[in-house]
Amino acid sequence: MKRSYVLYLTLLILLIIAGNSYADGTPFIQVSLQAPKSALKMGDRPVFKGVVKNLGRHSLKGLVVYLSLVSLKPGHEHPVDLEDWSAQKAVRIDQLAPGETHRQGWPMRLIQAGRFGVALTVVDPLENRPVVSDLVPFDIHPKPTIASSRILLVAVGEPLLLLISFGLFHWIRTRSARLREAVQI
Amino acid sequence: MRLYKPLIKKECLEEIFSARGAALYLVVIGVLSVFSLLLVSNTELSLLENAQAVYMMSAIVMTLALLIIVIRGGDGFAGERERETLETLLITPVSPAEIAVAKLMGLLFTWLIVFVLSMPYLWAVGSTGQNLLSALVYLFAAGTFLVIIFGGFMLALSVRMKTFKGALSIGLTAFLLSGSPILLGSSLRQSAVGRVVDLINPFATALNMLDSVVVDSLGLLFQIMPLAILVFYTIAAIWVLSMTIRRVEL
Repeated sequence: MKRSYVLYLTLLILLIIAGNSYADGTPFIQVSLQAPKSALKMGDRPVFKGVVKNLGRHSLKGLVVYLSLVSLKPGHEHPVDLEDWSAQKAVRIDQLAPGETHRQGWPMRLIQAGRFGVALTVVDPLENRPVVSDLVPFDIHPKPTIASSRILLVAVGEPLLLLISFGLFHWIRTRSARLREAVQI
Repeated sequence: MRLYKPLIKKECLEEIFSARGAALYLVVIGVLSVFSLLLVSNTELSLLENAQAVYMMSAIVMTLALLIIVIRGGDGFAGERERETLETLLITPVSPAEIAVAKLMGLLFTWLIVFVLSMPYLWAVGSTGQNLLSALVYLFAAGTFLVIIFGGFMLALSVRMKTFKGALSIGLTAFLLSGSPILLGSSLRQSAVGRVVDLINPFATALNMLDSVVVDSLGLLFQIMPLAILVFYTIAAIWVLSMTIRRVEL
């Protein structure tokens, strides 16, 4: 009886220690990002839906949430500057009460074709470890935007037109000068 | 005052009807044609969004126009001096300040021609996209400010320099320096030093303004600061020119 009592007590202490250490490693913030379900092509303006939830028992203040975009093109993986892709790169959440959920739409203008990944990062000023969502991969299909027929017309037509105009002007000028000379003679 | 208007007319028409002027305009549209053909033939460039293509085209138009302005501005007084026509010009009833105004008007007329020549290219590249009209308006406004700034400083320089070559070499160096932050790329320009350099550089300010209007679709409210910088430099250029023109040496 005494033996089993000691065993139960030891088990309980171990469970308390394990539980505490688990709580230390588990963030109080849950962050997720969802890509639009439709197929994406260049020029589209999809909105990625971001959710930040406070799982802890205390309010969180001054959370900074920002979007990161990476190119996943095989062999050319690199971070992408969001300057031309998205007008909103980061938001600040003043306060997030326990259990509260903050939803935010992240509009993005797709300006390049290829395979990309996007993730949402939440920085709590009181924590030294930011919380990052799962990477959401998505494909952007190419869409030629330049109308080649119109460009060819201008690119070839305008220099030709200008050359003909200059030539014509020079010819008229020379001809009128000769005529004047002939009249004088 | 009667001679003042014919002088402006002469400065403007000389550029259209002279072989040198025609050659410069042919070079301009040649470069624009090559870039347009690159947009069509290059896979990466053909996928560019229209607004991005319009911005790139606008930047090229502005650069080409400023290059012509630097050349023509440097020729303004130093060229007249070299051709020994400055003395004839100075003994006319037109004051040196009026001559400078006429030459500046000639430079503005050059910009107008370059702008008109570039319009079909901008239309071809961006008529199916957004912000084409804004791009044209802001390109014209920013270009006009830059032409007065660079033209004013170049004319002032050509008053002081004895030769066209001297004025041109200093002008081209200044032009390259003002264009150097653009060559650095956006990442380097994002730093504090890069931003300051961009802010004090009228060329970079104008390009950033075009970028924010055409690519980022930002309104007039966001352009107040860049416009104020351009206006400041324009006033400074006119002031420098008016101070320099008071004493013209043969």
